[in-house]
Amino acid sequence: MGLHLDFELPASSSPRRRKPTTTPNEFKAGYSWMPKSHPPTVLFKTYTPKTLVPFDGNDGGRILLAINGIVFDVTAGRNFYGPNGMYGNFAGRDASRGMAKQSFDLEMLTPIDQPLDKLEDLKPDEIDNMKGWIDHFSNKYIICGKLVGNDQA
Amino acid sequence: MALSIAEYLVTDDLTVLLGLIAATVFLVNNLYKPQPLVHPILLGRQSDVGRARNPGESAVYRNYGTGLMGRFPLRPNKDVHILADLVRPENEGPRTLWATKVKPSCLNESRLFTCHRLPTIGFQDRIAAVGTGLLRLAGLKAQESTVLLLLNDSIEFLLTDLALASHSILSYTLSSSTLLTSVLDSHRPSAIVTHAFMLPAILELLYEHTERSVQHTIVVVGEPSAQALASVASNITILKFADVEREGVRTQKILSPVPKPSDVFTVSFYEAENGLIQGAQLTHANITAGVAAIHSLLPAANTFTPLDTITSAHSLSTTYGRTIGYTALYEGTSFSTLVSSATYHIGDRHDTLDSKDAISGTQYPIPSPTVLFVRPEHLKAIATDVIKQGARSWLLYPFAWRHKVSGVTEGFVTKEGLWDRVVFDGARTKVLGPTAATLRAVIVSGGPIEASLMTPARIALSVPIVNVVSHSLVSGPLLASHAFDLQDFAPEKTKSGALLPAHTGPPGVNVEVKLVGVDDEAVENGADPVGVVFVRGPPVGKLVNVEGYVDVPSENASEEDAWTGIGLRAKVQSNGSFVVLTD
Repeated sequence: MGLHLDFELPASSSPRRRKPTTTPNEFKAGYSWMPKSHPPTVLFKTYTPKTLVPFDGNDGGRILLAINGIVFDVTAGRNFYGPNGMYGNFAGRDASRGMAKQSFDLEMLTPIDQPLDKLEDLKPDEIDNMKGWIDHFSNKYIICGKLVGNDQA
Repeated sequence: MALSIAEYLVTDDLTVLLGLIAATVFLVNNLYKPQPLVHPILLGRQSDVGRARNPGESAVYRNYGTGLMGRFPLRPNKDVHILADLVRPENEGPRTLWATKVKPSCLNESRLFTCHRLPTIGFQDRIAAVGTGLLRLAGLKAQESTVLLLLNDSIEFLLTDLALASHSILSYTLSSSTLLTSVLDSHRPSAIVTHAFMLPAILELLYEHTERSVQHTIVVVGEPSAQALASVASNITILKFADVEREGVRTQKILSPVPKPSDVFTVSFYEAENGLIQGAQLTHANITAGVAAIHSLLPAANTFTPLDTITSAHSLSTTYGRTIGYTALYEGTSFSTLVSSATYHIGDRHDTLDSKDAISGTQYPIPSPTVLFVRPEHLKAIATDVIKQGARSWLLYPFAWRHKVSGVTEGFVTKEGLWDRVVFDGARTKVLGPTAATLRAVIVSGGPIEASLMTPARIALSVPIVNVVSHSLVSGPLLASHAFDLQDFAPEKTKSGALLPAHTGPPGVNVEVKLVGVDDEAVENGADPVGVVFVRGPPVGKLVNVEGYVDVPSENASEEDAWTGIGLRAKVQSNGSFVVLTD
């Protein structure tokens, strides 16, 4: 292999005969690369009011809230639902009634040890409002679980 | 001080020249690298992954082009709703399907004056004629009867299939001739369409398995032998396909109500992984969705055109093979099938899937094939033959090989390079004949491909090779690799020591896939999910068990969004491509 040959055909001058033993994790490091990790996915879990409460963002962790039995991961909206956010009351709780009645007061929240709020006394337009919020949350945040009563866990 | 340095740095012409050469080499080395066919950043995100997953399952994966919020392509064109719409009369230009030249219909009055040949009967008219002939002569009733299609791939298969579908008559096909007895026992077709050489065997089966009182009608393609005709009992009517078609041309066409896309038009029987005989109920919508999916296997710049010729190793009696045939029909290409794809033959025949078989589609008077739909065995045979042939030019071959390998490592391969002209074109022509010059894509399905075969095959053929996973329940590709994906990873072993096969790719454009039976803890710690493949989408047909086995209806049998289990185990890699596991 004369050196002049290498000059004329640069692409063939030093091909990697053996594949690199570790797969590169960046596309700049090689064509046959593999991302280091899978895209993050959350495991769909069943929560009860008691197990949902820790997820209120106070410890810097995930923030979850539930509407109509569907649990949403609203960590992306920490500004709203985090400890100092406008709607921070809802973090880690069942926010169905508050969403329906468009109110963020503490009276909208059911205490943790009581059975789930059945929402029977809501008017039809309030139920529609709540469904609208469920749609908004489904598009914006991740559905990551369902909420059942403390005794049904 | 400065003087002593200047004494050492004597820049004469030679120094300048060498300096320029070094600079040029450096620049050329850095800038003259071939561009990858697809940017590797796109290969790092091939699927769109769902953001939540059920315990024990993986997230839902979709093709990145479709996206999680996107709607699945249901049809290749907004006007294609049922099977009959796949035949487009405005497809100008004749094409050859097996041995029949199909010309556009000239019976339209306004074109009678522009046609320079005698008005020939167009394809749609032939379909209508066959349909009318079958209804009149074979005593079939629209929307009620069922017909068993025991035909090898031929123009008669397509004609009969389309004719029966247009009259809403259910057709049964078998992926293998061994299923015939069970299907005849469990399903009583009103008529059977078969080849002349199979007539004696069919008659024997009918005499053994059915009573003398039951009427049977058999439509025979070709000339049955006098011996066979003599042995026909009184309860069996034999009709010739040519007579049926002639009757349809002669008499007034019978019109039936147009079928709905959700109508089942065929049941394709196959032997499942567990040994049970199962059938896939396919609707018109399944096939149109499958055609749209196959259309997207080739990138938009190299898509199917009426100038193409498709050769398929998959029989039309199988679901995927059927969809390939209809894709060829829709795209206006010429089409034929390989010798090894014939489902029915006399006696025992051992088909060797080698490179000669891969080009056996050229036994018909079709133009040289441009797109091959073959099996992994064909790919291996072609690749090894081409490499062996190329290695004969011992002087130049090592350089050619090194050049190609360095190109593939950068993600680039072409058929028009210098080394192709010098070494590889000759080798390809020796192995594939005239097909070597016209071949522009190879789509492989029907089993796993060895990982170590992929780069040699890509170099040997130098055309896009698409690795597709297909299944008898899904009309389109289930998983398909990116056409320009040339990635090659270090070989991996499974726990049992077997080598992993080559990776395929993301799910097809109109299916979504999830893995069930996944180890949650491993996945939460970042491992690749491994599980059984479940699929959902427009091309997925409904599973029916052959009667005689316990029919276990699934809980969501009536739901639109029921997941269908394919009996395959696979793992997903972090870039969204799937690897089918063989153990």
